[in-house]
Amino acid sequence: MTTATSQDMLSPWKQGVKDALPLFGGYIPVAISFGLISVQSGFGVLETILISLFIYAGASQFLFVAMVASGAPMSLVVIMTLLINARHIVYAPNIAPYLGKDRRWLFLMHGLTDQLFALSLARLPQIAKADRIAWYTCTAMLAWFSWVAGTAIGAIAGDEITQRWPVINDVLPFALPALFLVLVAPRCNNRLWTLTLGASAVLALSLRLVGYPNLAIPVAALSGAVVFYALQTGKARGKTV
Amino acid sequence: MNQDLWVALFIIAAGTYLLRVIPLIWMQRKLIQHEKKGSVKPPPDWLTVLGPTMISAMFGASLVPAHPTFAAWVATALGMLATLAVWFRTRSMGLPTLTGVFVFGVIIVLFG
Repeated sequence: MTTATSQDMLSPWKQGVKDALPLFGGYIPVAISFGLISVQSGFGVLETILISLFIYAGASQFLFVAMVASGAPMSLVVIMTLLINARHIVYAPNIAPYLGKDRRWLFLMHGLTDQLFALSLARLPQIAKADRIAWYTCTAMLAWFSWVAGTAIGAIAGDEITQRWPVINDVLPFALPALFLVLVAPRCNNRLWTLTLGASAVLALSLRLVGYPNLAIPVAALSGAVVFYALQTGKARGKTV
Repeated sequence: MNQDLWVALFIIAAGTYLLRVIPLIWMQRKLIQHEKKGSVKPPPDWLTVLGPTMISAMFGASLVPAHPTFAAWVATALGMLATLAVWFRTRSMGLPTLTGVFVFGVIIVLFG
């Protein structure tokens, strides 16, 4: 997923800021919504901020708040939220070859959200080895900050903001699909990958539309991998026949 | 928040962090073992396939507008086309994303 060469790069910190900007557009409106919903569900402002600070995983935070508000058993709340976050298992091994042995990476993994993983997988190979930790730290910290700050804003003044500037909620979240498209597009450079990625995107979209938002990503990703291997096997057989 | 909720919050936060960090430790150990043997082994094949399909699935799931009206779907389609068009020209991340949001926003504001 290369979009630029290391020669085109700014300093790792500047590049980190630049790469984090699209995340702001996606994170802040969603975080404002989360802050608002959390407070409306009975959580305090500080509690809401702490949830974003420590869990830092969007979908599971919404589920956590909704399940607690509906009076679900605590054990079920824990199991369900962790199940949703289980998709994170595949993220670090994918980027591990670019990270090196620095122990700071272990702490930085708190910031490895869906979006940061997608960004890292595309960007880390283009950055000089010595600069990668600076780039990741900058991008991850800014993303984390925007999520926590957005949550705080939502918890304190979310109602007023969404009423006064509904465009924030309606328009800015489009930054995320646009960013994902830019991250996926370079990989579609042959038929095998185009069909694989197209299949997983269409399946995720369909699952989300028919009411399975939490299943959409893991199921579509696994199905995409099945499509990849099916096409690859078919191609290999075609060559041997 | 009662004590049970704090415990649940702690378990979820710790569990989520471990879901992110343990696979890194596992992979780093594997890489070190291969380095010691003098071979450079890439991540397992299935992982290098699952990474991009995860991103693609996130892309697909994120396409559904918050308020899925006809105008929002048209805005999504045109926003995506604009993003892709600018990406083809620039092969960068920031400008295509910004253009996509702008096109999407204009349609939502005018017709949404």
